[in-house]
Amino acid sequence: MAFYEQHIHDAPKTFLSKYIFSYDHKVIGKQFLWYGILFLGIGGMMALMIRWTLAFPGQPFPVIGNFLFPSTGGVVPPDTYAMLFTMHGTIMIFYAITPILIGAFGNYLIPLMIGARDMAFPLLNMLSFHIAVASGVLLLAGLFTPLGAAAGGWTSYPTLSTLIGSPGVGQTLWTLAIFVLGVSSTMGAINYITTIITLRAPGMGYFDMPLSVWGLGLTAILNAIFLPVLGAGCLLLVFDRVFGTAFFLAGAAATSGTGDPILFQHVFWIFGHPEVYILILPAWGIVSDLLSFFARKPAFGAKATALSMTTITILSTIVYGHHMYTTQMSPLLTQSFMTLTMTISIPSAIFFANWLGTIWKGSIRFHSPMLFSLGVVFVFGLGGLTGLYLATVTTDLYLHDTYFVVGHFHYTMAASVLLGGFAAIYFWMPKMFGTMMNEFWAKVHFWITMLGLNGIFMGMMVVGYAGMHRRLYNPFVYEFMERMIPINTFVTWSAITMGLSQIIFVINFVHAVFFKKEKASANPWEVGTLEWTIPSPSPHYNFKEIPVVKCGPHEYGNPNLTGDRDFQYQTEELV
Amino acid sequence: MNTVMSNTTLTKERVGRQITSSIAMTVILVTFSMLFASLLLGFTVFRLTSDVWPPMGFERVDLFLPTISTILIAISSFTFWKYEKLFLAVNKERKLWLGFTMALGFSFMVMQAMLWSDLHSKGIYVQDGIFPSIIFSFTWTHAAHVVVAWFLLFYLVPTLKEGISVEKLENRVFNIGKFWHFLGVVWLIMYITIFLF
Repeated sequence: MAFYEQHIHDAPKTFLSKYIFSYDHKVIGKQFLWYGILFLGIGGMMALMIRWTLAFPGQPFPVIGNFLFPSTGGVVPPDTYAMLFTMHGTIMIFYAITPILIGAFGNYLIPLMIGARDMAFPLLNMLSFHIAVASGVLLLAGLFTPLGAAAGGWTSYPTLSTLIGSPGVGQTLWTLAIFVLGVSSTMGAINYITTIITLRAPGMGYFDMPLSVWGLGLTAILNAIFLPVLGAGCLLLVFDRVFGTAFFLAGAAATSGTGDPILFQHVFWIFGHPEVYILILPAWGIVSDLLSFFARKPAFGAKATALSMTTITILSTIVYGHHMYTTQMSPLLTQSFMTLTMTISIPSAIFFANWLGTIWKGSIRFHSPMLFSLGVVFVFGLGGLTGLYLATVTTDLYLHDTYFVVGHFHYTMAASVLLGGFAAIYFWMPKMFGTMMNEFWAKVHFWITMLGLNGIFMGMMVVGYAGMHRRLYNPFVYEFMERMIPINTFVTWSAITMGLSQIIFVINFVHAVFFKKEKASANPWEVGTLEWTIPSPSPHYNFKEIPVVKCGPHEYGNPNLTGDRDFQYQTEELV
Repeated sequence: MNTVMSNTTLTKERVGRQITSSIAMTVILVTFSMLFASLLLGFTVFRLTSDVWPPMGFERVDLFLPTISTILIAISSFTFWKYEKLFLAVNKERKLWLGFTMALGFSFMVMQAMLWSDLHSKGIYVQDGIFPSIIFSFTWTHAAHVVVAWFLLFYLVPTLKEGISVEKLENRVFNIGKFWHFLGVVWLIMYITIFLF
């Protein structure tokens, strides 16, 4: 039972109150979606420039190269290369994935799926988006400063990120942008947590919530606890850069009166390891739901899936040391962190097996959201398993900072989350914008993306295993890496193919949002969760009457179903 | 509507809003705690890895001004608590106690400014090494929060009017109060860690 009653407000009339300063969680979700897609494009272009440099060193970047780098005749210069990989990582993690999965779908889905009329604090929600915009402006402003944007890697380790390593204003702006974005995400997290606890519809217990809401809620908890840790690190870094404090300057405190660069790594990864789960948990939740929806079967062990996601959330807070095996950490500590990290495999294996159990003997409908979800199962499996090599101290000492790491985290954070995000967009499109996207082109988009992704990240793992280090401008000046040019070229062609295939998605998406005449029905996918009980697109008040929940979210093929459908709405009672 | 009724009865709706607001405030205080805890983690690392503290021949900060600050902020927590009680009882004296709280908050900030200028007059500046870095940065960060909280106190001025509805304003009072007390606790921890030890 909701803790208090949310009243129906009048629909906003003016353009500003409807699209810009909207309190409506659905509009804010869409704002975040456009914001994320915009940054996805920028980050993707940067990725292509990085890949071009690695495959064709010394050759000008095609089409826009001459415009962007006139001084070198279109070739990406070394210092710009460092900025590119820094900004690519930052943009993709904080400004593309976070807004799309957490900002857009968190905002859009949580109230609809739990049967609420809006978030608990609509004003806070609106501010959260506008602060995110301010942060995006701060970040991009760095690109236009005299010495260019931040170039210390997305991890921004001192001394690369102190005034010694990067004297320009770009790094300061980067640090401020991350701090401001942290404030925005924290505000979102406060809203999500409170909404999930207090505004569930009557009859909806925690285990009656769809697993998407579980994923988003757990993410919000991690965000609320760990973003301030990064915030503290950024604050001290800004103090170091602007006021001349000595927190992260190298040297011993007792003798030279300076600080400790490794301290930043600790602070960064105390936040950073939960952050990778912040990114993946919403995708896990969404995929767990979609697999059940399209296999027309109850989610296998839904309770166990929810609890293992919770277990992972808890474990993720105490394993951060595995990012720092090579920082002269004591062997006792590295082994402890290794053991703890390995423990995460247990809950991961549980919900992964549950995914397989869900599709086992299901009558699967291969619509585009299902294809993307199955894609997540595949790439997350690969990404998760390669993590074991990096969690093990002995193998990590060799693999640390190689392209194997890059391949691993792209499989888990980029490929899985991207595919999960696409699945969500294709699936909730009718509810968000009232139209369906073209199914044929969605499938074309899926296959090219899927093959492209695997070409890129598998290739990265191979070159990484062979010893190619990340962040090198031209690795092929080293003799033993010369032979890796062909495979790097293959990776780059995969990246270009995949990049181009996103144009299919953008055209399909823009067409469906703005130009498509044919309206979607209220429940095109035949799914029983609460958001499908209302018209498409959902009205501004969501639910005319607050629904009363009588069964779980995944009732398919149950012999006790009432009615002649193979599913039933959460508002209907089982026999 | 009968204000007396609305001030004393606890409807389901009212309790629901109280709980919602206190859940959100708890999350907010957790985030701020993590921020200050991370700063203190940094302090702990520097403190434990240094053989002598303060390092580099610095002398300890004179405890006079920080002690006065501690006393001021402690009393301000008490006056706020008193104000909150009187607000719930719709007692006229609440004006006085909110005024005390504002005055004490302001004097706390004056003490902080005096502390910084005192350090400067002794030739200790923020860029002189890790010890002044910690003293200045931590007090700045805390002071920034106190300034925000002090302006938030003015958001409570509407609670001083005649004939108010306690139900409408109570969560505002509770939340700002929690933040005010929280900053007091943070200051106490900072006083014990970075000034006393």
